[in-house]
Amino acid sequence: MTVREVASPTRPVTPPQTPETSVGKRPAWLETLGRWGAQAVPVVAAVAAALLVSALMIAAMGHDVVTAFDSLLTASFDTQFGFVATLHRWVPLTLFALAFTIPLIAGRYNIGSEGQMLVGAAAAAGVGISGSGLPAPVLLPLVLLAGILAGLVWAGIAAWLLDQFGVNEILSTVLLNFVSFGVVLYTAQHLWPDPVGGFPMTDHVAPAAQLPMLGSSPQFHSGVLLVLAVSILVILAIRYTVIGYELRSVGANPRAALIHGVSVRSVAIGALVVGGALAGLAGSIEVAGVQGRLLEGMQSNYLQLGIIIGLIARGSVVAVPLVAFGISVLEIGASAMQRSAEVPVQMVLIVEALILIFILIADILADRITRRRAARAAVVQKLKESSA
Amino acid sequence: MTTKTQAVGPSSDGPLLQMSNVVKRFGTVVALNGVDFSVDRGEVHGLLGGNGAGKTTLMNCLYGLYRPDSGSIVFEGKPLTIRAPRDAIRYGIGMVHQNFLQVDTYTVTENIVLGTQVSSFPRFDLRAARKKVMDLAERYGLNVDPDKRVADLPVGVRQRVEILKALYRDARLLILDEPTTNLTPQEVDALFDSLRAIVDAGTSIILITHKIRESMTVCDRLTVMRDGQRVETLVRRETTPRELANLMVGDQAVIERVAVAVGETEPESDTVEDKAPKEPSTTKSADAESASDDEASAATTDVEAAEEAGVEEKPADAEPASADETAADTDAEAQQDAPAGPIRLRVEGIDVPGDQGAVAVHGCDLTVVSGQVLGIAGVAGNGQVELAEALAGVRRPSAGRLSVNGVDLTGRPVRDWLAAGVTYVPEDRHRDGILTTATIADNLLLGSQRTSRFSRRGVVRWRAVRRTASELITRYSVRASGHSAVAGTLSGGNIQRVILARAFSREPDVLILHNPTRGLDIGSTQFVYDRIREVTASGAAVVLISEDLDELLYLADHIVVLYNGRVVGRVPRQQADRFQLGRLMAGAEAEGREDDRP
Amino acid sequence: MNGVINFLELAIPGMVAFVLAAQGTMLGGRAGVFNVSQEGLMALGASVGFLVSYKLGGTFGTNMIGLAVAAAAAAAMGLILAYTTTILRLDQFVVGLALFFAGIGLASLLYRVVIGIVPQPPQIDTLDTIPIPLLSEIPLLGPTLFDQDIVVYFMFLLSGLLYWVLYRTNLGMKMRSVGENPRAADAAGISVTKVRFWATALGAALMGMGGAYLPMHFSGIYTDGIIAGRGWLAIALAFVGGWRPQYVLLGAAFFACMEITALELQSSTVIPVEFIETFPYVAALVVMAFIFRRTQVPAFLGRNYDRESRTAS
Repeated sequence: MTVREVASPTRPVTPPQTPETSVGKRPAWLETLGRWGAQAVPVVAAVAAALLVSALMIAAMGHDVVTAFDSLLTASFDTQFGFVATLHRWVPLTLFALAFTIPLIAGRYNIGSEGQMLVGAAAAAGVGISGSGLPAPVLLPLVLLAGILAGLVWAGIAAWLLDQFGVNEILSTVLLNFVSFGVVLYTAQHLWPDPVGGFPMTDHVAPAAQLPMLGSSPQFHSGVLLVLAVSILVILAIRYTVIGYELRSVGANPRAALIHGVSVRSVAIGALVVGGALAGLAGSIEVAGVQGRLLEGMQSNYLQLGIIIGLIARGSVVAVPLVAFGISVLEIGASAMQRSAEVPVQMVLIVEALILIFILIADILADRITRRRAARAAVVQKLKESSA
Repeated sequence: MTTKTQAVGPSSDGPLLQMSNVVKRFGTVVALNGVDFSVDRGEVHGLLGGNGAGKTTLMNCLYGLYRPDSGSIVFEGKPLTIRAPRDAIRYGIGMVHQNFLQVDTYTVTENIVLGTQVSSFPRFDLRAARKKVMDLAERYGLNVDPDKRVADLPVGVRQRVEILKALYRDARLLILDEPTTNLTPQEVDALFDSLRAIVDAGTSIILITHKIRESMTVCDRLTVMRDGQRVETLVRRETTPRELANLMVGDQAVIERVAVAVGETEPESDTVEDKAPKEPSTTKSADAESASDDEASAATTDVEAAEEAGVEEKPADAEPASADETAADTDAEAQQDAPAGPIRLRVEGIDVPGDQGAVAVHGCDLTVVSGQVLGIAGVAGNGQVELAEALAGVRRPSAGRLSVNGVDLTGRPVRDWLAAGVTYVPEDRHRDGILTTATIADNLLLGSQRTSRFSRRGVVRWRAVRRTASELITRYSVRASGHSAVAGTLSGGNIQRVILARAFSREPDVLILHNPTRGLDIGSTQFVYDRIREVTASGAAVVLISEDLDELLYLADHIVVLYNGRVVGRVPRQQADRFQLGRLMAGAEAEGREDDRP
Repeated sequence: MNGVINFLELAIPGMVAFVLAAQGTMLGGRAGVFNVSQEGLMALGASVGFLVSYKLGGTFGTNMIGLAVAAAAAAAMGLILAYTTTILRLDQFVVGLALFFAGIGLASLLYRVVIGIVPQPPQIDTLDTIPIPLLSEIPLLGPTLFDQDIVVYFMFLLSGLLYWVLYRTNLGMKMRSVGENPRAADAAGISVTKVRFWATALGAALMGMGGAYLPMHFSGIYTDGIIAGRGWLAIALAFVGGWRPQYVLLGAAFFACMEITALELQSSTVIPVEFIETFPYVAALVVMAFIFRRTQVPAFLGRNYDRESRTAS
């Protein structure tokens, strides 16, 4: 390197680095496949470890492990009824997981999808009952929209508290869940009560407010297709739109995003509100597709499952529907497991929590291994440089 | 000259500390590559080197904050294994970190005794501790109020608290990491006096610094580090600033080459002599100092000769020069009144709040015209960050107005500033500049995601983004496997290249650069300078905020000095004098007028 | 007057679960570990405490054993949190949420495994009040403060003890420094990991105990969902109390009053009963809106400490 070269204004001074050629030569699709494969290894290992620990627990409780696992993992595929039940479970779980994941991408925690769904369901039921004169093409969209708006408003309260008063959104969203129970009870006991129902529930919504059923015995409701479309839409939006990009950048580094013109406040509010809207949609689909009415306890344990799915998917909206399907299989398998091997259904929550914990640990281990490898490579590089 | 052979100091039983073959890696970065280092009893040992030379890393290994990957430590003749700071403390090693490690909400006494044995029963009693703190403070001239909350104390006092913390634990080896950063000249003098008293009482001191002159003032011996390795250990009396500069930077050839590159072809003066005085108050030959400093700092952006100049100069010396300064001041203003091109950025009397709410920048007026570079000089922490953020539209001023190309943008969202052609390269690249978990392409898009070049109807044009990213990676020599590499896996220098590539590729009208070349190698630094020249040639206005006076003198058309949140001087480059700027940066002028240090 | 006494007599035991869980949250938080698994750990505590006591006879003595075992079980979960966050440096919220699920699941599972499905839920003795001689004779204060069960006394003693330890001992000074600036604490020779382990485990134990108190005080019966959001309210309480034991106690009094008011108002006709039940939660939201920006929070709450990290702090 001579003096003139250093001072030359036109040329970058440092010699251009050749990228790591060993990787660069392979075709792109193979590289992508390899990357996916590398990502899948820790996940598979974690699931296996979780199942192993669960097996030990089941055995320790004195049940037959093979029978239990056979039911747990195959109940969804043995019968068509099982498969449809799995699909119907997949619908709310996917929406709940997205309601958790979208704010998570921006670094916010929405633990209130349960409440958002319930107010959504209450609004959907209200519209579905009181709009009984309207034709289906008008009423059904109104029902769905009512749920979406109600969920949006409910999450909006938490977003407003966060934006205006700095209230931690974990707390506000979760406390609003408990408030929503009051909304459900009031709707089911005062507004449109079903007098003959054994516990709090509303009347049936009008037939025109119900989602069309598809397929033949057993039928599945068209909410399945709707959620499939919503999932694809979310994936595309996150990947390809400016708003999706800004959402990701806020999650990656809010200060850097702010400095580069991203409105961090509106992204945070928007993410929470969109999450709430999706949970609200889950509420209206449950009303319009499954229950046909609002009833107490219809939220089941979707909140927890949605969060587990979201955390297992680690913020990837592509992974969410897939993981949600896996968890749906386990959920449907759980009651079969209770019937066949007498393992309590509660066991499945333990299995799921274990999967989550092992995936988190696998992440750390994989990270450490790659870092150690990189460190070793760096030392080799340094030695080469200093010997040259 | 090397003292390895004559290492035996005043005490006869070997060195106090002997570190051998220490290796430390961070991920892919080899920070220490087999370092040997020894300290004698009763000496001040300077650990000298540029940024990233490994000085602090070596000392963090000694203090147990980092665990070395290999190597051995022998202290007072015994081999030690130091797993955590508490081991180091137990063996009698204390360390004063550059960012003070203090609990803001605790009092001085509480911070000093934290982690030591204090009786809690029947009554939590800090009276004895408080007494000991006051005794130590008096003995070593480290005045502090033991009952004040440290959050309320100025930097100089907080540093005394840190030193007292080590002395309170009876440290026999005290490590100080860049202790003079952000100190006023008076405080530096007082600190060095205290250090001398501490050494006289039998404690050895390791002084981490990148300032040659400072180390010549107070150190008995010096070890120079470069690139994670020890270069040489020298006795102060037997060396010269020039020799130290050469050792810090590498061979003489590099220094000369860079001197040519940055246009500082000052004739080599062989008259440089070791005039470094033992006592800091002795006056010195300014010429000799200037020559040696020039080369050292021109060669590496790490050697902040400017800062030294400011710090070293006594207020007594400052007085005769002040008349010149006011003259320069008015000259500068006169020149700014008749700008060469259209005004790009106009700042009128802005007050900018700091993070704690107090005003960090007071009544700042600036004008930057097309094709010019406005340099902002100052010791770190004098309002630069706040001013930079205000100029970039990130931080709202509490008073005053800002306009870009004649359009008032005060209080408008950052998006509008970007649209108006303002681009900002922040100082803290990890915190403010980069999306560590995102790809390089994602990072290069940041800030341009809403331009028609990279998006259409709300959809990102990823193909254009990726193509541009690949081009920029090549053009800016980012060492990465491609545009899909995750930014967090890059080294600091490469991350800065990504940030600079992003900034320059926006073809800004107004470019705010804050310490843009810190941590870059010489070649990359020159590359950045070329880009700055390029954008100004095409009509942009650049605000260059830097602690490197040589960088400013090389690039800036005007230099503004920021001290304590106020503009204390404006000088056109032609009239700029390193020492005059240094005095302004040290607040010599401002302090004469009013004392408004916190 | 009698109304007030009656009200307070009810409200003060109502504080117990809040106070224990919130002090536990506070304890971990002051060391920088933000536990969000209260709801799960309290459920686990309720289930374990109930089951242990029930299996051993369901008397006062076995209740005490049940409380201790519940505390131990929750502490074990707390240790998982401590290990995964300090050693593995996993995100505190994520692990906390995972433990929340695990706690809920384990609580329910254990009850099903031990009791099975029965027509009549089994019952244990509720805790009797133990009037303190002389003090319980004081008008107003006597019946409200000194004629309560043993866990109520424990709650007051614990809050006082925590205050003393945190602000009047060297240990407390060390502990608080870990939550305020772990790097400073580390450099001062304090083991951040050790402090966080102890604080998190003890904090979790208190949460488990708080959960176990619920079946022992109210009905003697365990049901899933017995915690009913008290764990989340405990987190809110820690914020409302500014992470200080004395104010946490005061805040808990407010929350308990809300809960009892909700119960008392059930007969009212003005406000629908369904909404009255949501009083404590709405009140918590409103209070948080007022205090959240003002409250003091440990500077390193929820953030893991990595000694060798070069960018953090």
